[in-house]
Amino acid sequence: MLNATQIRRVIEERTERRQGTGKKVVDVREEMDRLEEQGELIVHRVRAENRPVEMKTLFGWTKRIPTDRLWHHKSCGQCGNIPGYPSSLLWVMNETGREYLNEPHQTSCTAWNYHGTATSNPVALAAVAARNFHRAYETHHFPLIHCGTSFGDYKEMRKLLVENTEVRHKVREILRSMDRELVLPEEIVHYSEWVQAMAPEIVARQKVDASGVVATVHEPCHYYKMVPEDAVYDDAVYGGQRPAVPTGILLALGAKVADYSTWYDCCGFGFRHILSEREFSRSFANLRKIRPMVEEAHSDVAITSDTGCVTTLDKSQWIGRAHGQPYLLPVLSDIQFAALTMGAHPYKIAQLHWHAAPVDRLLDRLGIDWRSAKAEFLEYLQQLKSGAAPEVLHAPREEIERFFAINKGQVLPEEIREKPSTPVSPTLVEGRGPR
Amino acid sequence: MSVVAHLPRRTLSLTEEEADSPPAMHLTGRQRMTDADRSLSEEIYREFRGDHRHHDFVLGCLNCGECTTGCPAARFYDFSPREMLQIAQNGDATTLWDAMQEKIWACCQCYTCNMRCRFGNDIAGIISVMRELSVRHGIEATRRTLAPFNRSLTLLMTVGTQVSSDMIQPDFFRDWGPFATGSDKSWGVTPAIMRKAIPIDVLQTTTSSWEVSVQTSLELFRIYEETGVLDMLRGLDPDLTDMLIDIIEERREEFTEARERYRADLDRMQGPVATFSG
Amino acid sequence: MNPVLVLGAGPAGLSAASELAGLGAPTLLVEKETYLGGNPKRWHYSLLAPDLRPAEEILGPLIERVEHHPQIELHVGSQVSSAEIAGNGYRISLRSKEGVQTREVAAVVLATGFDHFDSRRKFEYGYGHFPDVVDFKELEGMIHDDRVLRPSDGKAPGRIAWVLCVGSRDIQIGNPWCCRMGCVVSIKQAVEIRQKHPEIQAYIYYMDIRTYGLWEDLYWKSMQDYGVKFIRGRIGAISMAEGGRRLIATGEDTILSRPTEVPFDMIVLASGMEPGTGTKEASDLFHVPVGPEGFLTPKLSDMNTIDSGLPGIFLAGAATGPKAIPDAITEGMGAALRAFQYARG
Repeated sequence: MLNATQIRRVIEERTERRQGTGKKVVDVREEMDRLEEQGELIVHRVRAENRPVEMKTLFGWTKRIPTDRLWHHKSCGQCGNIPGYPSSLLWVMNETGREYLNEPHQTSCTAWNYHGTATSNPVALAAVAARNFHRAYETHHFPLIHCGTSFGDYKEMRKLLVENTEVRHKVREILRSMDRELVLPEEIVHYSEWVQAMAPEIVARQKVDASGVVATVHEPCHYYKMVPEDAVYDDAVYGGQRPAVPTGILLALGAKVADYSTWYDCCGFGFRHILSEREFSRSFANLRKIRPMVEEAHSDVAITSDTGCVTTLDKSQWIGRAHGQPYLLPVLSDIQFAALTMGAHPYKIAQLHWHAAPVDRLLDRLGIDWRSAKAEFLEYLQQLKSGAAPEVLHAPREEIERFFAINKGQVLPEEIREKPSTPVSPTLVEGRGPR
Repeated sequence: MSVVAHLPRRTLSLTEEEADSPPAMHLTGRQRMTDADRSLSEEIYREFRGDHRHHDFVLGCLNCGECTTGCPAARFYDFSPREMLQIAQNGDATTLWDAMQEKIWACCQCYTCNMRCRFGNDIAGIISVMRELSVRHGIEATRRTLAPFNRSLTLLMTVGTQVSSDMIQPDFFRDWGPFATGSDKSWGVTPAIMRKAIPIDVLQTTTSSWEVSVQTSLELFRIYEETGVLDMLRGLDPDLTDMLIDIIEERREEFTEARERYRADLDRMQGPVATFSG
Repeated sequence: MNPVLVLGAGPAGLSAASELAGLGAPTLLVEKETYLGGNPKRWHYSLLAPDLRPAEEILGPLIERVEHHPQIELHVGSQVSSAEIAGNGYRISLRSKEGVQTREVAAVVLATGFDHFDSRRKFEYGYGHFPDVVDFKELEGMIHDDRVLRPSDGKAPGRIAWVLCVGSRDIQIGNPWCCRMGCVVSIKQAVEIRQKHPEIQAYIYYMDIRTYGLWEDLYWKSMQDYGVKFIRGRIGAISMAEGGRRLIATGEDTILSRPTEVPFDMIVLASGMEPGTGTKEASDLFHVPVGPEGFLTPKLSDMNTIDSGLPGIFLAGAATGPKAIPDAITEGMGAALRAFQYARG
């Protein structure tokens, strides 16, 4: 048993660590600097070449959002079933002349699996995170996290790797066995923060008037409920009471953003629920999110910024008709919406045909001629069917893949090192051969 | 666990066996435990209380209920994060065992409770600890709950992404409608061609979210081996675990051969090369 | 004899100045705001618990006495900008719009008080975003003027909820302490409203009711005589429904173990007490240590809350922690006596 003094000390220690005000929560970035000095880890800095934009986090701390030379940390759910999500992002990067690296030497964060089935543990999650971090670091590109859960997980894992010496040493040992080092990025950056940082450039290229659209926003839980001090806030968005993303870009594009009573609720994804308890997911999504979005806010579109949320809110609606809930509210990610307003092809780029709730009415409202776009896309599909090479958003990079896959980190031709990615814009690249 | 929307949450369904047991058992909702269960539950309890995360995540509770307020699962299941935290904090081996049968799996891991908790507890985190223990010890209820995940687990362990477009089969995802599964006939092409129409090279596949390089997936598997994830999985499904190991072993051999071939090529080419500094 | 400096003119400071003057000591009362009376004055406190006497009746005579006492030199809109030890007392700079003057004082009473918690920081409640979510200090003013109306449309509310412990007992916003006032003041407000407008329904959401000591009587009476309703459980979030006409309080009824969602016309946040901005400045000026919560630390907090342990410096009121008005006034008297003894040598 502890005596009174010991109990008090334990409570004080915990209180110190858990204190939720700006002045008392430890800024993990300062700890990282300290550990770097001691040679415990390397901090992957946001450099001038990343053209950072400063934003404020929950406690008013500064977060530097890199906008250039980015390493795409793709999302397994987005790539798996909402491919218009990453393709819109890459397209907008091409349009705005941003350099990036999108490559196969990335794993998912594996946190979907962890939150769904618990067949993993924090050391494994931390090692997975650190492997991806190091991979980005060795390519001189700053990691940009596409998925809200990966973003949340990496925030947690960075904290864990800083705070827990045992975990840190174990992970470092594993990394060394694969010829890697422990690298932690100075900032964990969610793509929606990049979108917000790029708002002026996106708006400058806006071709479609969005002022006729009423949007409702679903704020992804793992963006701001996990490690809350890392989420960005802006006084211009709900007086700084709700995260600045993805609402900020909608306002910048001139769309109307309507509030609804259940904005704080999760979407119903549940990680395992979306696969094995979909009765729950769809009931929750339809009753707690879509219905208030439609009936209270009369919204034309639900906008969110995470994989699971787009999936759940969108795919749950088709069956709603069987339950007398025929809302069919289009659900898009912020970047898909931004790309559409910049004139992206609704099918080739925004890939809207993977969505369960039809987007046609929204496109009409935006004045986008989806009928001819659809005809064009149908023709393209037929070309693919007869063996035409698919169009791609960035030049193929078999060379870099080959070098890294086979001979990691040892040799790299000069021209590849200098220019690992060659985004081609605005037209798509023709001629990538069959793999 | 059944989902009954908008019905009182405290309904208790009894199995036939339970219905024969003394009324007190119904009231507590406790499962009948065999001696083996009992000793396993005590082992789990000891591990649970000894996990450093128990010390870090469970601080105390004012029973204010703010966690339950925002909990999606609490609206549809017999579940509340406040109850889970109380169990984690004050429960005994049997209570913990009971919670591990079904309740832990109701949690959506949305972290709303964590963000609201005024005591600073990590409730979603402590539920994950309970889940991990139930997996590692291969509790029967957990095996049942996770049975549908073999496919996604296989994908994750071998490739490092969790979803592939060919996983979203129209028959299993009928409620998502034809568009979401790429199976709508009106496009006139197969789902594989639909994937080809995505303008990102590494996404033009149906068997994985994106093409992951062989070396990367082998590194990932090394992580699983080194961090005890494979051992956990063995507790859950030994056959699946063996199968995964076979797949990876084969791939390792292929990779080693490929690397040797490539090095030989490189020697012949006499090195193009600049040193790559990290 | 050099004057005694009293810093802060809320209940504690007014009381200290008044007593010092009564003892015949010249007194320098410095207040950074332009009025006397501190938070009760600023927010137009209505009736004071537990006897439901108007705040003016308590503070009015004190202010009157302080304003007119020949021994008291008043400096409103002024701040102490520096302080150093001089002999047994201190040499201070007094800064106001008119300029800076240097004075020597024989002793110091720090009565720098508290600030109400800024409820915008508890963003789940939408304070500052939803007009009908009001802070209970604003409700004090409404009750005082008998205009308890919804700020959104000026209509009388049918149902009001109080949310206790907003910005108190909450690690998420960094304030783990109890404000001691939220329960009794909320209950008092509900009683006041029910007295005048029995058609308004009053609900109080609580996790513990801390009407400590003799104040428990008001808690009981609020139910027995005024039909105030108590629900055990906290409101986790406030949102808008019915096209903005009503607020929804989402919570858990922890006795029934059920999530609840209840519509209200107006929701009142019982915001907690934080160290006043002047308290931090006073700590820096006179080197009085602050605790982890940011309040001034007495030398022996389990003996008395007046002695700072530093020569000639005495503490009074909410500068050392959340305090009720009578306690602050009493401490002002005690600090005055201590300061007088010290100053006399």
